[in-house]
Amino acid sequence: MPKVKYFGILAETVNQAEEEISFDSENLEVLVAQLKEKHSLEAHDFQIAVNRKIISDLSAFKVKDSDEIAFLPAFAGG
Amino acid sequence: MDYSRQTILPQWGEAAQQKLRDSKILVVGAGGLGSALLPYLAAAGVGKLGIIDGDLIEASNLPRQVIYSESQIGSLKAEVASAYLQSRYSELSLVSYTSFLNETNACEIIQNFDLLIDATDDIPTRYLIDEACLAAGIPWVYGSIHQFEGQVSVFNFNNGPSYRDLFPTQSRSAISCSEAGVLGPTVGLIGMLQANEALKIIAGFGTSLSGKLLIYNLLTNSQDIFEIEKKKESPSIEKSFRTELISIADAIQSQAILLDVRSFGELPEVSHKRYVQIPLAELADRWQNLDLERELVIFCQSGARSAQAAELLNGLGFRRIKVIKGGAKELAEKLIYEIEQDTSRTQENDYNHNEIPSDQ
Repeated sequence: MPKVKYFGILAETVNQAEEEISFDSENLEVLVAQLKEKHSLEAHDFQIAVNRKIISDLSAFKVKDSDEIAFLPAFAGG
Repeated sequence: MDYSRQTILPQWGEAAQQKLRDSKILVVGAGGLGSALLPYLAAAGVGKLGIIDGDLIEASNLPRQVIYSESQIGSLKAEVASAYLQSRYSELSLVSYTSFLNETNACEIIQNFDLLIDATDDIPTRYLIDEACLAAGIPWVYGSIHQFEGQVSVFNFNNGPSYRDLFPTQSRSAISCSEAGVLGPTVGLIGMLQANEALKIIAGFGTSLSGKLLIYNLLTNSQDIFEIEKKKESPSIEKSFRTELISIADAIQSQAILLDVRSFGELPEVSHKRYVQIPLAELADRWQNLDLERELVIFCQSGARSAQAAELLNGLGFRRIKVIKGGAKELAEKLIYEIEQDTSRTQENDYNHNEIPSDQ
């Protein structure tokens, strides 16, 4: 099962830093939309990385069982 | 100054020390990150340091902004930081700017430096830094914090990606340290990583974080490095509206309307004769209640909603808009402090939250 890691305010919102997910679509865009809805992340902006590489075209990316997906928001503090 | 412990490093040597002596670094922000990295850059032998920050030292800064002391509360950070460094490093050339970096001053200031370090605590300034550094052709070292996590990267270095390549759209939900909370070692460590990136870039050794985003989690000590893709099209330098920031002290002294865009009932309450509340969700319908000609200073809890409100109002023709640097909590504290200092002020206050105060 792919592992999903959440960073910053997203980990707080989701209430966990990582989870393993079962997926019925291998399309990354669909998968991200499902997770957004599941965890009420609609109000947040973030980038998606798979296996530590940031992906700009989510719809063209096919997720594999061994993939690690990261949700990356911008941090603000300093 | 004896730099022998640095120059005996095979990667460093006299050549790198000379490069550092010739370098001019601008540090934007003299808060948590700034007060961590500034002393190390100065001590290492940087030739010229610029420090820009319009903020004053507050009591809540002291647990992590270790270059300031209790007796300096109320003083300008840029001036105090500059004096602190000058008293220790006589050969260091210092210039302090006691305003915030904004669209008007950014290009003029940045052109005097060959590397910029972002030690700010808000996202709109980072987009401004990104564009100004692209225009000036200099790299910048990014650092930012969310509670126990920190992000570090290097942008616009050797044709590498920019901040806008990493985050093409401005975050609506990121929150600053004043709202999210922070411990000193977190800003200390992230500031050190930024200083280290700056030294590597200047000396030209090691592998920089250009093209990579490092996220360091101090609760777990885990480090993740993500590869950033440089977008094929040049990052947009299109003229977009940019939020101009104003310090809480300047906002209180101004004659501007203090526009609260939080939802009704959010704490703390803010009371002031120039206070008006229109929640962000209602602003599109109720903006006609605001005077187009009058200066507006917008605030919310952390700044995210203020930035959205400012953009919305700008689109509606408002031009005299500023956003408070900080949030409702700091503003409320400052107002209470001022009232305590000047009890006569309380008699003038009109606590009506619904009517738009007039200029008189």
